[in-house]
Amino acid sequence: MDIKNVLLIVRKEAGESIKNRWFLLYTICFSLLALLVLFLASSRSEIAGYSGFGKTAASLINLVLLFVPLIALVTGAISISSERENGTLSYLLSHPITKSEIFVGKFIGTLIPIWFSISLGFGLAGVGVAIGGGEGDVSKYITTAFLSALLAASLLSIGLLVSVYSKRASKSIGIAVFLWLLFIILGDLGIMGTTVAMGLGIEQVFALALLNPAEVFKIASVLALSPRFEILGPVGIYAVRTFGKEGVFYLLFGIMLLWTLIPLGYAYLAFTRFRKEEI
Amino acid sequence: MIKVKDVTKRFGNITAVDKACFSLNAGESLALLGVNGAGKSTLIKCVLGILDYSGEITLNGLNIKENEKEAKSLAGYVPQEPLFYDMRTRDVLGFFGSIRRVRSSRVDEVLDLVGLKEHERKSTSELSGGMRQRLSFAIALLSDPEVLILDEPTSNLDAGARGDFLNLIKEYKNKGKTVLFSSHRLDEVDLLADRALFMESGKVVFEGRPENLQELLGLKITINLVVPQGSVERAIGILAREGFHNAESNGRGLNIETDSKQRVDVLKKLLQEEIPISDFKIQEPSMENIIDRIKENGY
Repeated sequence: MDIKNVLLIVRKEAGESIKNRWFLLYTICFSLLALLVLFLASSRSEIAGYSGFGKTAASLINLVLLFVPLIALVTGAISISSERENGTLSYLLSHPITKSEIFVGKFIGTLIPIWFSISLGFGLAGVGVAIGGGEGDVSKYITTAFLSALLAASLLSIGLLVSVYSKRASKSIGIAVFLWLLFIILGDLGIMGTTVAMGLGIEQVFALALLNPAEVFKIASVLALSPRFEILGPVGIYAVRTFGKEGVFYLLFGIMLLWTLIPLGYAYLAFTRFRKEEI
Repeated sequence: MIKVKDVTKRFGNITAVDKACFSLNAGESLALLGVNGAGKSTLIKCVLGILDYSGEITLNGLNIKENEKEAKSLAGYVPQEPLFYDMRTRDVLGFFGSIRRVRSSRVDEVLDLVGLKEHERKSTSELSGGMRQRLSFAIALLSDPEVLILDEPTSNLDAGARGDFLNLIKEYKNKGKTVLFSSHRLDEVDLLADRALFMESGKVVFEGRPENLQELLGLKITINLVVPQGSVERAIGILAREGFHNAESNGRGLNIETDSKQRVDVLKKLLQEEIPISDFKIQEPSMENIIDRIKENGY
C-alpha cells in the first residue's frame, strides 16, 4: 500500500467533507448545542453526582448519541456508493491506485472531519467549563470525548460496510438512517421489549446491550464519569460486580473497538476481494 | 503493446465479453466497433484493470492483474462521459497528476496542450461538454503514457467540439503513440485507426483495415441531394449514363447509393451538367448495416 496515494484520498475526502454544507450545518449545530448544554448544565449545581467537567460531559452524552451516529453512518454509507453510482470510482480505478488505498483513504478522510466536529463541540464546552472555574476531573471529560470519537469510528465502519454493498447512494442513505433509528431510537426499547417478552436474565440483558455500539458507548461513558455505577440500574450493578468497574470499562472499550474493526475489516475485504465486479 | 487473450467477462448470467482476443503493437491504432451493448466498454474496462475478468491481458508484457499499478501507469484513459470530482480544473489535474507522480509543471503543459489554460480556475461543473472532454484528455496525457485508451470519446460532443477533439487524438497518434478506442462511427475509424475490430454480443466477429473495410464488406454510402423538382429526372438520367444506377427521387431531390470513394465524382458530374444542387448530406452505413453485412458474408 502506497501511503502517498492514501494521503491523497484522505485529503480529497476531508476537503469534500469540509465543503459539504450538510456537514458544516452538522458541525455548527453540534457545537452550538454543546454550548447550550454547557449553559444548562452550569445553571444547576449538581446532576446525579456530577459537577463541572463531569456534569457537562454527562450532558453531552445524549447529544453525542443523537448526532454522531447519524453523521458517521450517513457519511460512511455514501462514501463509496455515491462514487460508484456517478462513475468516479471506476474512473479513479483506471489510474495507478489500488482499491486498498482508496478504501483506507476514504475511511481516514471521512473520519477526520467527524473527529474535528466532535473535538470542536467538546472543546468549546470544555473551554466554557474552564472559564467558569473548571471543577471536576478533566480526564473524565477527555475520556468521554475519546469514547465519542470511538463511537464515530465504529458507526463510520458500519456505514462503509453498507456503502460497499449498495449500488445507489439513496439506498445506502436509507439503510444508514434505518440503522440510526435501530441503534439510537429503538435500541433501548428493543432491549426492554425483548427482556420482557422473553423473560431474559440480567446477564442476557447485558449481552444484548453489547450488540448495540451506541448502548456500549452510553454504558462506558457513564461508567467513566460516575462514581455511582448504580445509576446504570441492575444491569450495571451486575456488570460491575462480575467484571469489576475497571474490568467493565475495558470490556466495553474492547467491544467498541471490535464494533469498529469487524465491520471495517469486512467492508475492506468485500470492497477489495469479494465484490470485484461491483465497480 | 496490448495483448488480450481469451478474455471473458460475465455479469451474473450475462456474458458481456466472450473469449475476446486481439493484440495491438506499439505505435498502432485499433478501433473497437459495434452497436451499443456489444461489449466494447466492458472490454476496455477489463484492459484498464477496472473490472475483473477471466483470461489474460498484458500491457507492455505486464499482466494487469499481477502488476496492476505498473500496467495502469502505462495507459491514459478517456471515458465516454467525463467524470470528475467537484474541484477546480487545475486541482483535478493536480490530484490525478499526484497519483501518477508527475512533476507539477506538467499540469501547465497539458492545460496549454488542450487549450484549457484560461479555464484552470473554473470548477469542473462549470465546464462545457467539450471542455470536460478536453480535461479528460488532459488527465490522460498527464504522464505522457505510451497507450491512450478512449471509450467513445466523441459520443457526447457536438460537431465542432468533436472535430477539435479528434484532431487532438490525431496529433497524439502522429507522435507514434499507441491508441485503442471504441466508436460506432466509421468516419472516426477512417481518421484514426490502423485496424478495426468489430464486436457483437461480446464476441469479436471481424477484424480488418479501415481503408478496405467498405470495399471488403461491399458497404455503400447514401448521398441525399436537394435539387429543384424539375431537375430530378435529368439528374437521374445523367447519373445512369455515368454508371450510377442506384439513384431515385426522394420528394426533395434524390438519393444516390454508391461507393464511398465515388462520392466526389457524383457531385462533380452533376455540377458539370449544371444541375442546381442547393444542399447535400452523406449518410454513412450504420453499425447495424455493417454487422448484418459481416454476418451475411460469414466473416
